Amino acid sequence: MYGYERAGGRIGIRDYVVVAYLVECAHHVARRIADPFAERGAQLVGFPGCYPSEYAHRILEAMCTHPNVGAVLLVSLGCEEFKRGALREAVRASGRPVETLVIQACGGTAATIERGREWVESRLAERRPPARPIGLADLVVGTKCGGSDGLSGVTINPAVGHAFDLLVDAGATAMFEETCELIGCEEHMAARAVDPGLAAEVHGAVRKARRYYQDLGHGSFGGGNIKYGLSTLEEKSLGAYAKSGTRPISGLLKPGVRPTRPGLYLMDTVNDGEVRYGIPNVNDTQTVTEMVASGCHLILFTTGAGSVVGQAVAPVIKGVSSTRVFERMAGDMDVNAGTIADGVETIEEVGERILAEIVEVASGRPTRSEALGHQEFVLGYKTYEPLGPACLPT
Amino acid sequence: MSPTANMVVMASGDNVGIATRDIAAGTPARDVRGCERTAIEPIPQGHKIALADLAPGESVVRYGVPVGVATAAVGAGRLVHVHNVASRYLNNDEDHYE
Repeated sequence: MYGYERAGGRIGIRDYVVVAYLVECAHHVARRIADPFAERGAQLVGFPGCYPSEYAHRILEAMCTHPNVGAVLLVSLGCEEFKRGALREAVRASGRPVETLVIQACGGTAATIERGREWVESRLAERRPPARPIGLADLVVGTKCGGSDGLSGVTINPAVGHAFDLLVDAGATAMFEETCELIGCEEHMAARAVDPGLAAEVHGAVRKARRYYQDLGHGSFGGGNIKYGLSTLEEKSLGAYAKSGTRPISGLLKPGVRPTRPGLYLMDTVNDGEVRYGIPNVNDTQTVTEMVASGCHLILFTTGAGSVVGQAVAPVIKGVSSTRVFERMAGDMDVNAGTIADGVETIEEVGERILAEIVEVASGRPTRSEALGHQEFVLGYKTYEPLGPACLPT
Repeated sequence: MSPTANMVVMASGDNVGIATRDIAAGTPARDVRGCERTAIEPIPQGHKIALADLAPGESVVRYGVPVGVATAAVGAGRLVHVHNVASRYLNNDEDHYE
């Protein structure tokens, strides 16, 4: 495997040129700039809000300085509140080429698109093949499930869990999330924490998720689950939890905070404080974005019904729980774990196949969603308190 | 490996297996490693079959983790579901928050 070495020593597995809009009013212009280069590695990200948000600034900065990114074009309308100067300085300080185009100063839509395309074209022309030998220990991998079905917790999620064990044993960094879907797993998770202070933080994160969802009025277990054979809330949670494997939990993260050393991490994706803005995660894509902001090079996305999403800055490997859906959506799916239910492969064997897939994708082979041009990205308003001191034991 | 497997046991020490296909009463539930129990009653796909006799109050263990408590005696080979299991958190289909 070869990767891209960035200033400061971080390693990337892609060399994307990111075009970032800093307010929704600049979205169209940014999209038109990036569109012609979509097949060549120009990726579109951005924040729609005008009112400033410390959280959104942190996540967007993390995207623009992500090791999979080689150059950044910022597209501003001009009158939005986003601190574009601070973002530009952060990208420049990271050693990357960066340019800001302010639509109101450039002379409007057409002139900005023209200048933006010239800049992106020049950066793409400067790219070189990856030259730095890398291993599994250089990788940060996240996992997420979406569109789960009755077999997800039996086939693909435990198989990802086995792949996570193999990654952690190889010295890699791995992270899982969805504390709201882990209610009932907190005792087991806390027992896996590397020290008692972290165990208490894990308990606290799940308590917060439970309270937040009760306040919101979301149900988490019901008729559909029972129909497919799940008997309790904690059994349902376990299906998602199986993605985390069995290794010790080394720390608790919040979006944008990077792990301090290799190992397995839990990310707390639920807002701090009282319910605000209605929905903590509007969809799977925002949670994936948060894990990428915390440094994930690639994402293992598990699905039952058949999600098709990718991500703008990190390749997404999609694993599906049944052969039936794999065959119906073969063009979108990278890994079929339905073989476990078919009785022809064990959980461990599928886990080893997932690890082999990770090696190929980290070596540059596009995932299905990458090849199809998926570049999902969502960033909304949220608020977080700083991490507690016990969250990242040294 | 056995292509006739119709059950997955998630971890050693589990006292339930998961049917990967509908299993008819009186027929064997088998996993790829050779664990086998005869289904006493129909076990639909995705549902749990008891691998051992469960006493009332005993934990139902799946993937090495307790996922509920038996509310009645459940014989090996029986269906394990909401009629004989309760949550430690929010009770089954009625008391979960909406």
